[in-house]
Amino acid sequence: MRYQWDFSAVAGHLDLLLIGLLGTVRIALISIVLGVIVGAVLATMRLSGRRSLRFPATAFIEFYRNTPPIVHFFWFFYALPIVIGLNLDPYAAAVLALSTQSGAFYAEVFRGGILSIERGQWEGAQALGMTRRAALRRVIVPQALRRMIAPFIERSFELTKTTALASTLAYAELLYQAQQVNSITFRPMEVYTTIAVMYFLLLFSASMLARLGERRLARIG
Amino acid sequence: MDYTWDFKVVADNFPVLLRGVGLTVELWAVALVLGVSLGFLISLGPTSGRRWLQLPAIGYVEVFRNTPVLVQLIWFYYAFPILIGFQLSPVAAAILGLTLNTSAYCAEIFRAGIESIARGQWEAAKALGMTRAMSLRRVILPQVGKRMLPAFTNRAIELAKVTSLASVLAVHEIMYQGRLLSSTYYRPLEILTVVALVYFVVIWPGSWLSARLERRLAARD
Repeated sequence: MRYQWDFSAVAGHLDLLLIGLLGTVRIALISIVLGVIVGAVLATMRLSGRRSLRFPATAFIEFYRNTPPIVHFFWFFYALPIVIGLNLDPYAAAVLALSTQSGAFYAEVFRGGILSIERGQWEGAQALGMTRRAALRRVIVPQALRRMIAPFIERSFELTKTTALASTLAYAELLYQAQQVNSITFRPMEVYTTIAVMYFLLLFSASMLARLGERRLARIG
Repeated sequence: MDYTWDFKVVADNFPVLLRGVGLTVELWAVALVLGVSLGFLISLGPTSGRRWLQLPAIGYVEVFRNTPVLVQLIWFYYAFPILIGFQLSPVAAAILGLTLNTSAYCAEIFRAGIESIARGQWEAAKALGMTRAMSLRRVILPQVGKRMLPAFTNRAIELAKVTSLASVLAVHEIMYQGRLLSSTYYRPLEILTVVALVYFVVIWPGSWLSARLERRLAARD
């Protein structure tokens, strides 16, 4: 049990790990942006009165919410190229998997926020002579946005943790880089503990920032 | 797009996939039972009112919730054995990682549930001469049980999806079998699509029941 910790192996390859951390942040940010767009489209479809729009959106959302993300990663990397006849690099496949998957979850965040606004607000807007669209834009959405913030942040954290799966496609994010450093140094204990700490610091400091921002918004609102 | 689908390879290997599903269900059941039990024990820390119990329990929960579960699984398989001096089998490492991860989330559910009960209930139980353990068992838990149920069913669904990450440790569950078959037969499109559908068929009824339960409990309050 007297294990000699030796972090010099990690310290010598810290540059590789930092590149990985950057890769993680990069893929998380772009997937959040694309996921929000996918989510907004899906939520609009699902809230619309037309069955032909509602049904596909619901099916998409339910499918993604009930299958594991790793299946999506592999499907986009190995199966989709056969359908479209075009090879995807690991980065593109991972971004596609992450943004469609998180889009399904964001859609539920948006829809939940809008449905949480009382009927009276719609009726009040209508009484003022607003169309459905104007009421949505000027009355409902501004109120719903505030309620969406907390679940939106939570989903974004889940997404950031899910980026680790991109390592299985050999995209150079933090976990993949750690596997590379491990195969050079044979120091799994130090390497994997170090990246666990790096993930922790990234997510924990981001959650502190998010909490601060949330509090400030609550004060303005 | 003139790809000819061929599901023969899936049909021929269906027993292999089914065996994978069996192991997936086993991983899920074992990690769920152990994770909920351990989560309950851990939740006694933050709700105890004693600082030396509070801090380690909160630290444990935060570490598991702020690092990717894939990193946790890899850590328990590749790094942890160095600490304890003997190699863990892939299944053991996967169950250990999944259990501890689930326990952290369950501890939060128990904590939130227990803290949602008004202080007066504790005080009244004490006034009746009950010890802390007795009031928890006979007064507090019976009241929060129903309130916590939707959170637990959601956790169980998350866990069902997370078991797929055990494939990275070469645990022969369904995702691993799917990866193996698709690289053996060069039919990733058919095989990975079927794997995704299998997950959906197994998990979706659970989600549906969980949503129904949540609505019924909400309607009752």
